[in-house]
This record gives sequence, structure tokens and C-alpha cells, in this order.
Amino acid sequence: MEAQLAKRIVGGLKDAGISFVSYLPETRLSEIVPVLREDPSFMIVPVANEAEAVSISAGASLGGRPAAVYMEGSGVYVGSFNLLCLGRRLGVPMLLIVAHYGSVLDARNSFVYAMPGIHLIPILESLDIQYVIFTNGDNLETKIKGCVKMMHAIKQPVALLFSGEFTI
Amino acid sequence: MNRYDCFEFLVPSMTDQLVLGSLSGQRVEWGHLSGHPGNLLIAIMGAALGMGIGLALILPHRKVIVLESDGSLLLSLYNLPTLGNLNVPNLSVFVFDNEVYSGTRISEPSATSGKTDLAAVARSCGIERATTVRDLDSYKREATKALNENVLSFVVCKVEKTTGHRQIPRPTEDLWEHKYKFVRYLEKTEGKQIFMGRG
Repeated sequence: MEAQLAKRIVGGLKDAGISFVSYLPETRLSEIVPVLREDPSFMIVPVANEAEAVSISAGASLGGRPAAVYMEGSGVYVGSFNLLCLGRRLGVPMLLIVAHYGSVLDARNSFVYAMPGIHLIPILESLDIQYVIFTNGDNLETKIKGCVKMMHAIKQPVALLFSGEFTI
Repeated sequence: MNRYDCFEFLVPSMTDQLVLGSLSGQRVEWGHLSGHPGNLLIAIMGAALGMGIGLALILPHRKVIVLESDGSLLLSLYNLPTLGNLNVPNLSVFVFDNEVYSGTRISEPSATSGKTDLAAVARSCGIERATTVRDLDSYKREATKALNENVLSFVVCKVEKTTGHRQIPRPTEDLWEHKYKFVRYLEKTEGKQIFMGRG
């Protein structure tokens, strides 16, 4: 991903009010981590497991810091029980920043990634988690802001799925 | 040592602390003994410690207490390396370890009935103040320290297998109502808006 896109993602998160990010690093969007780290308005927490990231961000969210979880698409599978029970059943707003690996426009797609990529959206839909797909930087900041508004409005997780230009 | 007795000792000390609880009989027992609005009893295994970490990180001036069980912690051991590295000083974790998965129809041993030592696991992850207590006096001593000191503490409380919680009436408050009560309490005591959005 171009450095400028990484900066725009982080700037969009900040403008939308996100100030807490838990994350398990992955390849495609990893350029956002140093940008997040350099900005003192974010508290960032590296974790060992995406289910853990969901629970830590849920705590931060209910404590008053609008929170996100950054993860690879595989993390939605790993964190799905916590997304269901904390995100949906308890009703905790949080933003999911997801590298949509294995999607059609994933520049790094291969037999390794395609299967989990294909099933990611059905998983989100089965959890009734709203999502927006990003393949380029058009209206990036506006869309992020809309997703954050939505997560506050419904008090549920909302997912940003990044593919296309974000996966180069 | 009985979990209910441990809770009875802890409840009178609750003032402005935030208490996270997981599932099982301890949720029923704690909710029965304490109606404090700073309770957040989330009714899921494997997530209370993570939520407690998140809360403690963003509210460093508040004591956060996590009530876990052996089964719930075993389901989420990934929290321990994270917690050891973060070393959150305002967090106190109590693991009520009855060495069994205990439901209304089952009583199956957990790993802690065998070779697993949760306090040793925690210490190996960098949680220095991790200890195991096996009697009520030791528990009271460790709990008092945990409540009064600003140091990350992790107390594994070896308790008897009990079924007393089955006699306690279940709460009628659902999880959304419970969450709103907690969030409104935090908004009031922290003096800030938590839930965003225009009405």
C-alpha cells in the first residue's frame, strides 16, 4: 500500500473520532501501524489473538474511547464468537479494520488466501455486521466517517474491508 | 475455601471500582451479592479479562477488578502474554479455580485439576504478582493487597466445587439494560459522554 493511503486511513480514523486501536499485525495494511504509533492521540495495543483484540477494544469502547480492531480477514473467523457476544449481543460499538485477503481484487491473492477470502463476507453477514468495501482511495475519509457514525448509531461493530489498491 | 465466602469478603470493599465478570455460577453469585452499577457481568467465557484490560488502560485512575474462572481463563490464555507486557497497574485479576467445568448436568475436570498451574503460567508471561491462595485467610490478605495497591495482581483462588448458585434466582435485567446501567454510571462518575450520536 502506498504510504499516502496509509496516512489517509489513519487520518480518516482520527477525524472520525477513533482513538483506541488494538491489533494483530498482518501484511497488507501494516503500513498503518507506524503511522498510528507516531500519533499520540491514538492508544494502540498489540495483541496475540483477534478474539482478544475484540474484547480489549470492547472494554475501551464502553469505557469511553471510540475503539477499533485492526486485523487480517482471518481475524474475523478467530474473533467471531467475541464479535457475536460482545459486539452483537451486548451491543458494543467498535470499528473493524480488515485486510480482505483472498478477495477478488486482493493483489496478493493465491490458493493460500482465496478460500478464507471468499467466505469472509458470508461470515460478516451471518453475524449481521454492517460492512463497506474499499478498493481505492475515493471518498476514503467520508466513508470511514460514515462507518463510525453507523457504529455509534447502532451500537454494534461495523467493518471496513480493504482490498484492491490497499493490498498492493 | 468457598467462592461465595470470597465474594462476601470483597463486596463491602466495592466503592468506585469497576468489576468485570465472565460466566458461570460466579456471575450469579456476584450479581446476587452486589448490585453496584460498576459491575459489568458479560455472560461470556473468555472475554472478561480482555475487556478488563481495555477498561483499565483507558481509565488508569480507576481500579478495575476482573472475576474469572479456570474454564474461562483457559479459553483465553492469549490474554496473559499481552497483560504481562502491558503491566496494567490498576488491574486486579481473581481467578476462581474450582478445577472443574460445572454446569447443571456436568462436572468434568478442567486442566487445572491436573498439571496446569495458572499462577505459574501468568508469571511466565511476565505477571510478577501472580500467586495461588488455598484458604480464606490467605485470600483475604491477597485481596486486601490487590485492592489497596496500584500494582497488577493476579490471584488464583482455589475454591471448592459448589452448586449454591443454582439456588439463587437469576437476574431479570438483560445484557443491554445491564450495559446501559454500567455506561451511565461511568458517564456520571467520569463526567464524560460515552455513547455518541444525536437523539
